[in-house]
Amino acid sequence: MLFRFVERKFWYFLLSAVLIVPGVFFLAIGGLKLGIEFKGGTLLDLRFANPPAVAELHDVFAGLGHPEAVIQGAEGGRMEVRTLTLDTTEVTKTDQTLKAKYPTFIDDNASSVSPSFSAELVTNAIRSIVAASILIVLLIAFAFREFGFGAFRYGIAAIIALLHDALLVLGLFAILGYFFNVEVDSLFVTAVLTIIGFSVHDTIVVFDRIRENLHLNRGEALNPVINFSIMQTLARSVITSLTVVLTLLALYLFGGYSMRTFALALIVGIISGTYSSIFNASQIVSLWQEIEDRIRHRGGRGQSGARATA
Amino acid sequence: MNRGWAWVVVVIAVLAVWIDIPKHQFSFPFDCPGICYRLGGQSTSIEIKTHLGLDLQGGTQLVLQLHPEKIPGGTTTNIDTLNQQTRIVIDRRINSLGVSEPVIEALGADKILLQLPGVSDLDQARKIATQQAFLEIKVPALDASGQVVSGQYVSLNPPLTGANLKPTFVEFQGSNNAPVVRFEFGSPDDARWVQLSKDFLQKPVQITLDGQQISAPVIQQVFTSGIGVISGNFTAASAKDLSTLLNSGALPVPLEIVQSSRVEPTLGLDSVHRSLVAGAIGLLLVALFMIAYYRLPGVIAVLALFFYTALTYAIFRLIPVTLTLAGIAGFILSIGMAVDANVLTFERVKEELRAGKTLRVALDEGRRRAFPSIFYSNAATILTALILFYFGTGTVKGFALTLMLGVIVSFFTAVFVTQMLLHGAIEYPSLRRRRLWGVEEKPTDGRGDGRTAAGATA
Repeated sequence: MLFRFVERKFWYFLLSAVLIVPGVFFLAIGGLKLGIEFKGGTLLDLRFANPPAVAELHDVFAGLGHPEAVIQGAEGGRMEVRTLTLDTTEVTKTDQTLKAKYPTFIDDNASSVSPSFSAELVTNAIRSIVAASILIVLLIAFAFREFGFGAFRYGIAAIIALLHDALLVLGLFAILGYFFNVEVDSLFVTAVLTIIGFSVHDTIVVFDRIRENLHLNRGEALNPVINFSIMQTLARSVITSLTVVLTLLALYLFGGYSMRTFALALIVGIISGTYSSIFNASQIVSLWQEIEDRIRHRGGRGQSGARATA
Repeated sequence: MNRGWAWVVVVIAVLAVWIDIPKHQFSFPFDCPGICYRLGGQSTSIEIKTHLGLDLQGGTQLVLQLHPEKIPGGTTTNIDTLNQQTRIVIDRRINSLGVSEPVIEALGADKILLQLPGVSDLDQARKIATQQAFLEIKVPALDASGQVVSGQYVSLNPPLTGANLKPTFVEFQGSNNAPVVRFEFGSPDDARWVQLSKDFLQKPVQITLDGQQISAPVIQQVFTSGIGVISGNFTAASAKDLSTLLNSGALPVPLEIVQSSRVEPTLGLDSVHRSLVAGAIGLLLVALFMIAYYRLPGVIAVLALFFYTALTYAIFRLIPVTLTLAGIAGFILSIGMAVDANVLTFERVKEELRAGKTLRVALDEGRRRAFPSIFYSNAATILTALILFYFGTGTVKGFALTLMLGVIVSFFTAVFVTQMLLHGAIEYPSLRRRRLWGVEEKPTDGRGDGRTAAGATA
């Protein structure tokens, strides 16, 4: 019993596209909302025994000289207030004002980032994603070095798979940002990088099996070998993702408010990573081979069928 | 694998569990909070405890940007030296406040990370960190005829600053016991101070801190030494603050707060609690799943998993790794990943068993064939973690560190400890039944084994 993983590759590519395109659309129209870490400003996380109305709280902040304050109610009697960057004196003054006005005000977390520092954090986030991608191509090229230059196609297929996962998660958060004002912070960048690592982790396991089977079956065409290899690693891929998703689900459900977006990003990314390693990565290697063969065929060098380049 | 190694693993397990046990809730024999030993007459004790990050125990964090371009008259000192000098000054100020376990780190060349656990007043933190404490004595401006221009003061050349002060202290003076700060100039500024009292006898001089006047006393007599007092409208507390600032020295460079955050301790505690519950539930779910799916190897994997959890946590406590919320998330994630190496091996072992190999051969083959996958996939995760650690700040660093340590330890437990337990298990005939290993009693042919007809030899 063989599932036709390779032959139906265009269907799988189509499914990925259907999932990714809406997210990319919302990314393009600026759906991704940057947290204060990345755009500068102050986030006050106020806790009340009995929270006041949003409009009333807004008046308080306007009175303190911050009419730009954006106020959102959150679970557990909490109110999130976002303003331009407050300095420490202003934060202290705000605390005192709130304490005097609301007896039910318990305490708050305050976090401020100056715009110059946030620009640096954005640069760092981008740099780290680029650096991670480059190192991963090199690692895979090294792991599959026996294929010579062919190794890079595995590296590039793995990169496309990880871009798939990163885009899916970014797109999801662009949609969440557009409709629910969910913001991304450095913890989100961490999640994206972890997803990248995990996606590659999954893809390497499949590729490693392809390599082994190419050795065991010299002369066999590439596509059947890929099919076998995916079959053989299928149980492992699903089980590993399942265990990781189980732990993340626990983190999402019980880990507390601040962990929730982080856990959600990881859950979606890891499921996507498993999908892309089963249904996309090897199929790209196969597609590459088919295109190469077709070009060679036209060139009249007379190679027939997709041959493994082991 | 021989018995010697088995004992090593057992010893590590016992040590790890001992390190993990909280030492404060129970009264232990010998009343020791961690590692204690006695050598000769000297006894040493090192406390072992979990270091909680600011987000979990509450406190204030500031990121300070150095602004050497704002130093009056410029500077030739390089930025690394300035950074180090600044950290020394801030460290002195914090020490005199009695904040426990503060963090003062360079963040690149031009920034400083300052964490003050337990300090919840942002403004107080700002004063500690950014007040320059630049003391200068200025003399009255004189007009062409040598008369004092009221209210105008100028610097001496070179300026008489607090750079050479000896330790100051608070005194109470006069009939109403008003607090004052007594200071003393060291050489050569003491001579200049004496000279100044001769030059400006019966005239006011201005004592300024960071350009602001604190007091402008009139010199009543010629001094005989470098001693003077600063009187102002001090309370006992504000006099002590000034004295502390002067004793810590002035900041060598103006600082700007580019990031500040404050976490209330109660919110932090709530997060710790929730994360621990989440971790425990996650571990339990994974354990149940592994046993249900893999049977005997599953049980062994779970044993290895608990060993892994105990060992990693012990390493966190020993190094020590400061646990942040993100760090706990990294740890929980690494539990999930630790299972992966086992899953990879077990799936291989099943394949070998189905192909008709004996248990012992299947175990060895399974490990050998799973190894490259385990190695390279772990390497990919470690690489990403390294990058996160290198580029990240604060939260992200904590996550990267725990994830990285977790993956390294899991590599050890999966490849070494699980294998040892598996080989140990097949010593017992009753544990050798194939059903316990998740495959049928009779080997099937290679259909599920997946080698194609052309090359089904191994």
